[in-house]
Amino acid sequence: MSAPARDYFALFQLEPVFKIDDAALKRAYYALLDQFHPDRFAGKPQVEQRLAAQFCADVNSGFRTLSDEVYRAEYLLSRQQVDLQAAEREGVGSEFLMTQISLRERLASSESDQAEEREQLLQEINDHYTASLEQFDVAASEGHWRDAARCWQEMCYLSKLLEVAQTESR
Amino acid sequence: MVLMQISEPGAEAEQTAARRYAVGIDLGTTNSLVAHFDGEVVQVLMDEDGRASLPSVVYYGDGKSEVGGKAEAFAVAEPHNTVASAKRMLGRARAEFNDDPYVALTQHGLAFETDAGQKTPVEVAAQLLIELRSRAQAHSDEHMVGAVITVPAYFDDAQRQATRQAAELAGVKVLRLLNEPTAAAVAYGLDEAAEEASLLAVYDLGGGTFDISILRMSRGLFEVLATGGDSALGGDDFDKAIVDLWLERLHLSDPTPGQRRRLLECARQAKEMLSTDEQATIDCSALAMSSSELTLSRSELEQVITPFVGRTLSACRDTLKDAGVESLDRVVLVGGSTRTPLVRHAVAECFGCDPLCTLDPDQVVAMGAAKQADVLVGNRAADEALLLDVIPLSLGLETYGGLVERIIDRNSTIPVALAQEFTTARDGQTGLVVHVVQGERERVEDCRSLAQFELTGIPPMVAGAARIEVTFRVDADGILEVAAVEQETGASSEVVVKPAFGLDESQITDMLKASYEHASEDMLARKLGEARLEGESLVVGLHAAIAKDGDLLNPDQRSELEGGMLTLQSALTDTDPEQIRALTEALGRASEAFAARRMNRSIQIALQGVLITDLGAEDA
Repeated sequence: MSAPARDYFALFQLEPVFKIDDAALKRAYYALLDQFHPDRFAGKPQVEQRLAAQFCADVNSGFRTLSDEVYRAEYLLSRQQVDLQAAEREGVGSEFLMTQISLRERLASSESDQAEEREQLLQEINDHYTASLEQFDVAASEGHWRDAARCWQEMCYLSKLLEVAQTESR
Repeated sequence: MVLMQISEPGAEAEQTAARRYAVGIDLGTTNSLVAHFDGEVVQVLMDEDGRASLPSVVYYGDGKSEVGGKAEAFAVAEPHNTVASAKRMLGRARAEFNDDPYVALTQHGLAFETDAGQKTPVEVAAQLLIELRSRAQAHSDEHMVGAVITVPAYFDDAQRQATRQAAELAGVKVLRLLNEPTAAAVAYGLDEAAEEASLLAVYDLGGGTFDISILRMSRGLFEVLATGGDSALGGDDFDKAIVDLWLERLHLSDPTPGQRRRLLECARQAKEMLSTDEQATIDCSALAMSSSELTLSRSELEQVITPFVGRTLSACRDTLKDAGVESLDRVVLVGGSTRTPLVRHAVAECFGCDPLCTLDPDQVVAMGAAKQADVLVGNRAADEALLLDVIPLSLGLETYGGLVERIIDRNSTIPVALAQEFTTARDGQTGLVVHVVQGERERVEDCRSLAQFELTGIPPMVAGAARIEVTFRVDADGILEVAAVEQETGASSEVVVKPAFGLDESQITDMLKASYEHASEDMLARKLGEARLEGESLVVGLHAAIAKDGDLLNPDQRSELEGGMLTLQSALTDTDPEQIRALTEALGRASEAFAARRMNRSIQIALQGVLITDLGAEDA
C-alpha cells in the first residue's frame, strides 16, 4: 500500500541522533511545506497533485515524529529494528515502577489549591523525565539499544504523567 | 526561491494569462453568500434583484421548490415545507434533534418531512449551493473551476464530509473546506501580515448562533487553539427582547402570530437604525394597535440586550481559558449583530483591543474564502503565504477495554498520514473491528464515533502474533481515510469516513442522475468544461515537464508520452467529455512514473537547497 518509508532524518537533512537542532528541523520543515504543499500544486495535473499531497503527508508525519522527544526516541529505536513490543513486555525496572507509582499517588492526592506543592511535584516529575531523556541519549549514541528502549518507556510514562499534572494545574 | 520552477517559465505564463474563475462560498446557518476575487478586489456577487445574501431557506411544496427569499415567503403558511437552518443538522445524529417536530429518522438518515417527500440536510444544503453556483456562473463567461466553502472551525469530520457531499450533489467542485474564522482573518489580509506569531480572536455573532474562536498565526500557519460559543444565541434574541419590551408598553399580552411577526420586523428595523442613530421611530399604523408609532432609544436597546451580550462575553472568557491564552493581538468581528455599538464596545473591553470591523461583518467570511479560492486555482504567485490548517480534534481507534489509542494528535498540520501496528487479543482471532473515534478523552464512550469497519482474513495465530498496520490519512480538507492491513497475508480493508447519518454513494449517484435529467444540457456543458480544463492542464504541464526534465525519459517513453499528448490535444476540441476524460486518464497513467521521478528530483533539489540556505545563514 504505502511507499517504502522515508528516512525522516534524511528528509530534514539531520544526523540520525537523538539530540537534534530544533531550529534546523523547523527551517527544513517549512521550506519543504512551502514548496510541496498541495496548495502549491493547484492547477497542476492531478498526478502531480496526488504525489505532492503524499509527500506532504510524509513531511508532516516526519515533523511530528522528530519534533516530539518521545516520538523521536521511539523512531530511533524502530530504525534500529528494536522490537518495541518485546521491550514493552520486558518493562521498566521495579525501582522506576515504584517511583512512578509514588509520583502518581502524590499527584492524585494533592489538592488543587496547594499551588506551591503542585508546582514542586511538577518540577520533580520533570526532573525524572529529563534524567531518563539524558540516559536515552547516552544509551542510543553508544548503541546500547536495550537500555535505550527501557529509557524510552520511562519517558513515555513520565511524559503522560507530566501531561496530566499540567492540565490539572491549569 | 529559485527552486520553485517545476515547470517551464513559458508554460506558467500561458496558464496564468487566462485567470481561472473560482469563488468563495459562505454556507451559513441563516444566510449564504458567494464572492469572487479578481486579483484586485473582492466582490460579493448579487442576485438579479441586487441582493447579496441568500436566506438559507428551501421550500419543498407539492410539485415545486423555491430557494432563498422566495422560499421564506412560505414559512408562515407551510412551515413543514419550509426548511431553514439545515446547517445545524448537517452530519448530525437524530438524538440531537428529537425536539424538532418536522424532523424524522428515515432509512436515509435524518430528514425533513415535506410534501415533496423526505429531504435530508445534505440535499437542502445542495439546493442552496446550486442557487449560489448559478449566481456565480451568471457573473462570468468563464467556466467556474471550483469553490472554497467555509465551515465552522468546530465542525467534525462527519459534518465536513456532509458539506462535501452537498457540494458534490450541487455540482460544485470543492477546492478546499476552509474554517470560517480563518476565512475572516484572510479577508483582512492577516495571513500576509503575520510574520511574528500573533494571537487572534474571531467573534462571530450571527442571527441565531454565536461562535468564538481563538487562533494563533505564525508564518502563514493558522492554528485554531480553541472554539466556543452558543448555538442558540444571536441577533434574533435581540429582536425578541425588543418585541417583549413593546408588548409590555402597549399592554398587549397576547398578540396574534401575524402581529408578532410584524413586530419582529419592526424590531429588526429599529435595531438597525440604532447602529447609527440615538433614537428610532417606526411607523406601525398597519398593525392596528393602540399606537401607530413604535419608539426605541439606544439606551433602551442596550438595556434589553445586555444579558445576551453578557452571555457571549462569558463564553469568550471560557474559550480564552481553554486556549490557555491571556491576551490577544487582534479581534475580528463577524456576523450582522456585531454592528450593534454595544456589542463592539463590550468586545473591545473584554479583549482589551479595538476590534477589526472595516469590512462588512456579514460578508467577511465569503470574502476571505474568495481570496483563498483565487490562490487555490493557481492565479497567484507561488510565494504567497501558505495557509496551513490543523485538525481540531485527535483521531484514534478503540483498543482493548474501551480505551482510545490516539493515532493523530489534535493540532497536527494536514495533510498527514500516520500508521501504527496493532495485534490480536485472542488466540485464533481471524477478524478485527476497527472503530475510529475523534476526541481528546481516554475512553471510547467519551469520544465521538466516526466509523467502524471490519478487517477479515487474518490467519489464525496465537494472541499477539498477528501484525496489523492501521494507517490514518487526513487530506488537506481534514477528511479522514483509514486503512488496515494484515502484514503477513496482505489482507486489507479500508474506509473513508462518512457522516454517521448521511448519504451513501448510491444515493448520491441516484440524486445526481435525477438532477441531470432536469438540467442535462447544463450538466453536459459543465462536464465538458471540466474535462477540457483537466486535459489541457495535463498537456501544458507535460510539455513543461518534458522541456525541463526530459532527461529522465528514455526515447521510447518520451515518444509514447508525446504521442498521447498529440492525441489528447486534438481531442480537446471534441464535444464528448467522456472521450476527453478517457484520453486524459490514459495519458495521466502513462505519465505517472515520469511524474514520480520528477517529484523525487525536485525533492532532492529542495533538500540541497535547504542545506545551502543553512550554510549561508551560518556564514552570515
